[in-house]
Amino acid sequence: MIDLDAAGSAVALLAGSLDAWIWVIPGLLIGLVFGAMPGISVSMAMALVLPATLYMEFLPAIIFLTSVYTGAGFGGSVPAVLMNIPGTSSAVATTFDGYPMARAGKHNEALGLALVASCLGVLGSYIVLFVLVQPLAELVLRIGPFEMAAIAIWGMILLGSLGGKSLSRGLFAAGIGILIGTVGMNTAGYLRGTANIPELLDGVPTIPAMVGLLAASQLFGLVNTHFLVESEEDRQISLRRIIAGGMMTFRHPVTLIRGSMIGALVGAAPGVGSSISNLLSYAEARRASKDRDSFGKGNPEGVIASESANSSSEGGSMATMLALGIPGGGATAILLAAFAMHNVVGGPRFMDQNRDIVYAIILSNFAQAVLLLFVGTGFVFCASAIVRLPLRFLIPCVLVMATMGSFAIEGSIAGPATLFVFAVLGWLMSSAGYPVAAVVVGLLLGRLIETEMLRAWQLAGGDPAEVLNHPAAIGIILLMCLSLGVSAWQERRRRRAKDLIGVG
Amino acid sequence: MREGGGIRIEWGQLALVTALAGLALAYLIDARSVSLSTQNLLLLQPTAIIVLILWAVIAYGCIRRGETDEGPSKADWAGRARVLAMVAAFGAFIFSLERIGYDIAMALFVCAGLWIGGERRPLVLVLFPLIFTAAAILGFRALVPYPFPTTLL
Repeated sequence: MIDLDAAGSAVALLAGSLDAWIWVIPGLLIGLVFGAMPGISVSMAMALVLPATLYMEFLPAIIFLTSVYTGAGFGGSVPAVLMNIPGTSSAVATTFDGYPMARAGKHNEALGLALVASCLGVLGSYIVLFVLVQPLAELVLRIGPFEMAAIAIWGMILLGSLGGKSLSRGLFAAGIGILIGTVGMNTAGYLRGTANIPELLDGVPTIPAMVGLLAASQLFGLVNTHFLVESEEDRQISLRRIIAGGMMTFRHPVTLIRGSMIGALVGAAPGVGSSISNLLSYAEARRASKDRDSFGKGNPEGVIASESANSSSEGGSMATMLALGIPGGGATAILLAAFAMHNVVGGPRFMDQNRDIVYAIILSNFAQAVLLLFVGTGFVFCASAIVRLPLRFLIPCVLVMATMGSFAIEGSIAGPATLFVFAVLGWLMSSAGYPVAAVVVGLLLGRLIETEMLRAWQLAGGDPAEVLNHPAAIGIILLMCLSLGVSAWQERRRRRAKDLIGVG
Repeated sequence: MREGGGIRIEWGQLALVTALAGLALAYLIDARSVSLSTQNLLLLQPTAIIVLILWAVIAYGCIRRGETDEGPSKADWAGRARVLAMVAAFGAFIFSLERIGYDIAMALFVCAGLWIGGERRPLVLVLFPLIFTAAAILGFRALVPYPFPTTLL
């Protein structure tokens, strides 16, 4: 599994090259700053620095870009925790518990948790990559539409879990989200629900809609509040509490390991990556928890589950990129572009002939994960100052930044207009007690589920029995049913125990 | 809100859920008018039907129970008016971006947002929006590859 000779050469390569190291901290800082800006995605941050790598050697260039990737991966969780703004779809689940923690004055702890979970997630996924890069890539090739549809349905099941106390409202919100996610032209060429608006041909712009639903709607609700954290005592920015929050991560090793595994595996699947892995990991953490009702109200496990999964997706997507030359998303596509700029073609041949460079990239990412811990702590300390700003300043400024971010994604007024429409929808729905997060998850998964179901349907020629020829898909569905059955049984036992205590 | 005979109807909640269900129904009709093929309706039709069934459940809940009998207090009304003013200001900001330029729209919105939030110092109301707008416009112009119309900057 590990080519020890190549690993030795990789260590020598890194030890003998100062260039390979001097770009790590600048890369992490650039990634953190850009990742924390609403609307600037990981891939956009990498695209902005890509031209600068033209004049670097190949290895330092790739290490610089992966540093930006690692930094931006965590940077997105800072606005998710502090302002309920998921900078990218991979930080959606971080908002579920991170933001309630921040509102309760636990912003230091929430950011510390997110940082340590992210660092450990990156580290874990690269360890998996170091040991299993080849088998993991081969496994990815076996994931077809049936398996993807099964994974997406697993994600959909979690929609019910976001319903809070009223299941009907949760499912209604999720259904509305799925319907919004299917607007536009589907992969079979049918055009629905566009109301003759050409901007909707490709569907509703996801990121502006998501920011509108989660963040802008919340900001409207805060107009009558003076500070993000009401208690002056809790508004303190404390390095000690950030570190204490980080240490809290170690109290939930199962959540951390499960999140990292889900992130690495799902992240390796092209086109899915971290946007679904954080949701799956969150759903699994909630399902497995004894204190299920506290999820969505500031449970630290929710933050750990989401952050460990979205950061470990980086290692997964790097496996597909390095071993197969297939970019799983925008960020790995830019890495492949950097390969091309240096006249290197990624893929199986590169992997075979330059295993020392592949190992050097992986080993450098171990160091990046450790350095992120220190650079990230300083960044988080500065970013936390936002809780001390009066909301009368913060609300219009954040709304403006979100508007400009939406413009930056779409390149037209369609982004800001979408942001406004979904901000109003989110505000109305959250005022009426609907879980807006369920709309967001439906919106994210709606198109994915439809696309994969359609591909599976087309491959099967309309015969549902074809699924029997895909044991992995059946396995995923059986595992899902089993886990749901176990949690239903545990819930029943818990209720019975409560009833007995009540009778006693 | 309380109706005669002890029946409570949450009119606001009922209107919202009915409007959303109405949109789902309109979307289903639109999709069915495009094609009745399975490849068009595979996910959309069952989801829309489930949404309509859930509408009935939620609407029934809106008619049966009411959480408060008393109307909102004066302070509540003032708070709601502030929220509505912020929503309206944000809407005006978005729809004026292309008409009066991103810079002027941004400065006016930040000023309005400060006012709605309770800021009354004239110097802050004038200077803060101007400085913030200049920084935001110049920063995004350096970062964003697309041009956006401005009037002054």
